[in-house]
Amino acid sequence: MSTVIGEGYTVEADPPYDQHSISLRSRDELMALRLNRFTAWLQNLELREYLISFTSVTVMFALWVFVTETGIANELFLPGPVAIYDAFTRVLFDGYQGSTLIEHVGTSLYRILSGFGLACLVGIPLGIAMGMSRSVHASFSPFIEFYRPLPPLGLYTLLVMWLGIGEASKLALLFLAGLPGIIIATIQAVNDINPTFIRASKTLGATRMQLIKEVYLPGAGPTILTGMRISLGFVYTVLVAAEIVAATAGIGWMIWDAAKFLLSDIVIMGLIVLGITGVLLDLVMRMIGRILMPWTTVRKL
Amino acid sequence: MKISFRKHAIGLCLALAGSTALAAKPETVTVGYLNLVNAQLVTKSLGLVQKEMPGVEIKYIKVGGGGDMLRAIAAEQVDFGGLGNPPTAIGVTRGLPIQGIMVLNMLDYVEAMAVRTSKGIKGWKDLEGKTLAAPFGSTTHYLLLKALADEGINPASMKILDLRPNDIALAWSRGDIDAAWFWEPALGRVLKDDGNLFMTSGIMTSRGYPTWDVGVVMNEFAEKYPDYVNKFVKAECAGIDYWLGNPEKTAAIIAKELELPLEDAARMMKGTEMIPCDKQLTAGYIGTTAKKGQFVDTLMSTADFLAEQNRLPKNPGRATFEAFIKPSYLEEVVK
Repeated sequence: MSTVIGEGYTVEADPPYDQHSISLRSRDELMALRLNRFTAWLQNLELREYLISFTSVTVMFALWVFVTETGIANELFLPGPVAIYDAFTRVLFDGYQGSTLIEHVGTSLYRILSGFGLACLVGIPLGIAMGMSRSVHASFSPFIEFYRPLPPLGLYTLLVMWLGIGEASKLALLFLAGLPGIIIATIQAVNDINPTFIRASKTLGATRMQLIKEVYLPGAGPTILTGMRISLGFVYTVLVAAEIVAATAGIGWMIWDAAKFLLSDIVIMGLIVLGITGVLLDLVMRMIGRILMPWTTVRKL
Repeated sequence: MKISFRKHAIGLCLALAGSTALAAKPETVTVGYLNLVNAQLVTKSLGLVQKEMPGVEIKYIKVGGGGDMLRAIAAEQVDFGGLGNPPTAIGVTRGLPIQGIMVLNMLDYVEAMAVRTSKGIKGWKDLEGKTLAAPFGSTTHYLLLKALADEGINPASMKILDLRPNDIALAWSRGDIDAAWFWEPALGRVLKDDGNLFMTSGIMTSRGYPTWDVGVVMNEFAEKYPDYVNKFVKAECAGIDYWLGNPEKTAAIIAKELELPLEDAARMMKGTEMIPCDKQLTAGYIGTTAKKGQFVDTLMSTADFLAEQNRLPKNPGRATFEAFIKPSYLEEVVK
C-alpha cells in the first residue's frame, strides 16, 4: 500500500512480506535497535566521557596493583594501594607529627582559600580596570609580566625576609601565585565583550558603574571564572613550597616532612588527598558559576 | 699494506686487552659529598681519588643535607656518599642498598645550639614557651629532642620549627626565633648576632649521644668493583692524614672550597674531629669485621628514637645495622 504525500511523492509504508521473513528480520532489527540505542546512549550523554574516564582510572589502578603485587616496583618508591590505605587511616585517626589528617588538610585549605580569595579580591577589580582603561593597563602590566614567570622558591626567600617565617609569608606566596592568572583572564574577558553592547548601553545613558555592573561583569563572568579555576591550580602548585619553611602542619608540609624520612606511603597518600581537595574545590567553583551565571554553561576544560 | 695490517692487529690486541681491563674498571665514579667541613674537601681539592683511579672520570656532587643524600642514593645518582647517623638509620631501615665503609667525621662544636643572649636563656627550663628551630631529620634535630628528654622537658612546651640552616640564620636576624641547633657556616653568623653558645654536639657525645657522618658505597658498585672501594677509602684516608698533618694548608683549602674567610674555616675545622683510619677500626668507631664498634649502638639508639617519633615504621634490629657496617675495605687499606 502506498501513501501519496503531496504531488507525486509516494512512500512504501507496508511492504509485502511473508511470515517467515518477518521473524528473521525482526530479530535482526531488534539487535540493531538495541545496538543503536546503546550507541545513542554512549553518544548522547556525558556518560560516554564518564565511562572512558572510569575505564582509564581502573586501568591505571590495575596497573598499580600489578606492579606492586608482582614486585616490579620497589616498595620503597611505590607502595601498593593497601599500604596507602593504611597510611590514610593511620594519619586520619592517629595523626602525623601532632596533627590529624583533617587538621593538616584544614590548615592547608585555610591557606589556599585565603591566598586565592585575596587574589580574586584584588585580581578581578584590577583586571576589569586594566581591561577598560589603557593607561591603567600600561601602569600595572610591567610588574605583573615581570614577576609572573619567577620561580616561587626564589620569590619565597624574599618574602620570608620581608614578612618572617609565620603565616604572612605563606599567604603572600599563595596570593602571588594566584594573582596573574586571574588578572590576565579578566583583561581578556573584558576585551572580548562585544563593543555593540557597550555602545548601546552608553547610548541609553548608562553610567560607568552601571556599565560595569550590567555589561562588563555579566559579559566577562564566564571567562573570569575560567581564569579563577586555572589560578586555583597555580595556587596548588606552590602549596608544598609555601609550607616547607617553618610549618608544623599542613598537607604540603606533611608531604615534605615524610619525604625526608622516605615515608613514601604518606607522601603518595598526601598527594592523593591534595588532588582530591583540588578536584572538589574546582567542582564547587563550577557550581557557583552555574548559580551566578545561569545564562551560560561553563565549558569543561 | 703489510704494515697497516700489522698495525691493525696490534690495535686489535690492544683493544682486546683494554676491554678485559675495562670489565673491572668503572667508567665514572660519582662521589656525593655533604656541604660540611671535613677531609672530603681536601681529598676533592687535591684530586686524591683521581690519583688512585687513573683513567676513571671522577664526578663530585655537592649535596645539601642528609635528606637530599638519601634521595640521591635512592635514585642511584651516586656511587659513594656520606650520611649522618639519623639519615643512615632511616636509609638502612628502609632497605637502601648501601654499606658503611668508613668514618668521615665526628661532630663537635661545628654543630651547636645557639640561644639569643638578650632573652636571658640560662638553662633548659628557660626554653619553655620559646620558639626553637632545627632542620628536621638531621643530627641536630635528633640531639635537641634527646637533650630535652634527658632534662625531662616536654617538647610540646615550646615551639620547635623545621628550618634549614640558611633559613635559621635569616629567621634569627629578623628575631623570629630564640634558639636553634644547627651547623656552620650559618651558625657562625648567628653567634655574632646576639647569639650565645648553649650546647654543642661534642658535649652530647660525652653524654653518650655521638653524632657522625659515615662514608657509604652503593652495594652494586661494591660488588662490581671491590678494588675501587679500596682505592676510594685509601684516598679518603690520605685526605684525613693531610688534614691532621697540615692544619694551615687544610684551612686554606676549606676556605677556598666553601668560599669562606680563612679564620672561619680554621674555627670550623677545630669543631670537627677527624679520625685516623687505623683508629676507625677500634671499638669506639666502626670496629672490625669480627667485632663491630660503637657505631652500631648509635644506629640502634637513633632508630629507636625515630621509631618512637613515628618517622620509622620500626627498628629493624641489631643484625641489620651490623650487616650495614663493612670494615673490610678499611682493614684492607690499613693492613
